Amino acid sequence: MNRETIIPEIATTLKKWVEEHSDSLFSWALYKTDSKETAEDLVQDTFLAASTSMHHFKGNSNPKTWLLAILKNKISDHYRKVYKDPHGKNAINIDSVFDKEGRWNPGERPLAWEEETGHLLDDFAFIKVLNSCMGKLPENWFAAMQLRYMEGKDGAFICQELEVSDTNYWQILHRAKLQLRKCLEVNWFKIIG
Amino acid sequence: MKKVINLLLLSCKKASELIDKSSMVKLNTRERVMLRMHTSMCDACSAYQSQSKVIDTVLHKHLNKTEESSVPPVVNDELKSKIISKL
Repeated sequence: MNRETIIPEIATTLKKWVEEHSDSLFSWALYKTDSKETAEDLVQDTFLAASTSMHHFKGNSNPKTWLLAILKNKISDHYRKVYKDPHGKNAINIDSVFDKEGRWNPGERPLAWEEETGHLLDDFAFIKVLNSCMGKLPENWFAAMQLRYMEGKDGAFICQELEVSDTNYWQILHRAKLQLRKCLEVNWFKIIG
Repeated sequence: MKKVINLLLLSCKKASELIDKSSMVKLNTRERVMLRMHTSMCDACSAYQSQSKVIDTVLHKHLNKTEESSVPPVVNDELKSKIISKL
């Protein structure tokens, strides 16, 4: 942030906002990205963006809501970037799931789950397993999932933004789901029979 | 004859792909019919279909519907002074 470009009055307001809201913004960013470093960068970027677009802020709205909206955009930008420049890891090999004829390999065949699935997210133990399984996905698959489910945007729109073909994007989400399904089955669900 | 059967029958690999695709876009009639034929005969893909739905619902709620109040609060004073010093 360039000192000369910020009017003292704005700087005072911003300082107050940092004091009051940076912890909540940081908590949110940390929850969404699971990385302290990334979360700190995103919160700093948020205040930087706020300082240059203060004139868009309407005096009667809630500063925290406004800042959070900026932060949410920054988080989406972050996942778009990660999607395009992944540090590939842990990707399942589709050939280990299906054989040459496209049949499920033994040991990979989905089996019916025993549990009632309606209230899964009320269970902290399940959320822990879910987060850990998601953490094992390759970064760009994880990013693709975040973008898909976080904002509830439709597929075509995300493809356009990411500059990937529809097919490519479905394939990635499909593989991410295959991997997630397996991980959840191994670590959480009981099999019927 | 084998060719005709192959035209009508999906592999599990293709079927599971269509299952996940269908949660994002509407399948065309041919895809829908072939998928229904496949899942009616294949327990594994039929299980995959219901599990894919479970995962969809769970992820939607988990990633999208987060209330700000349910996020665990974290204090970061270092970051606070860092940003203020730059103002």
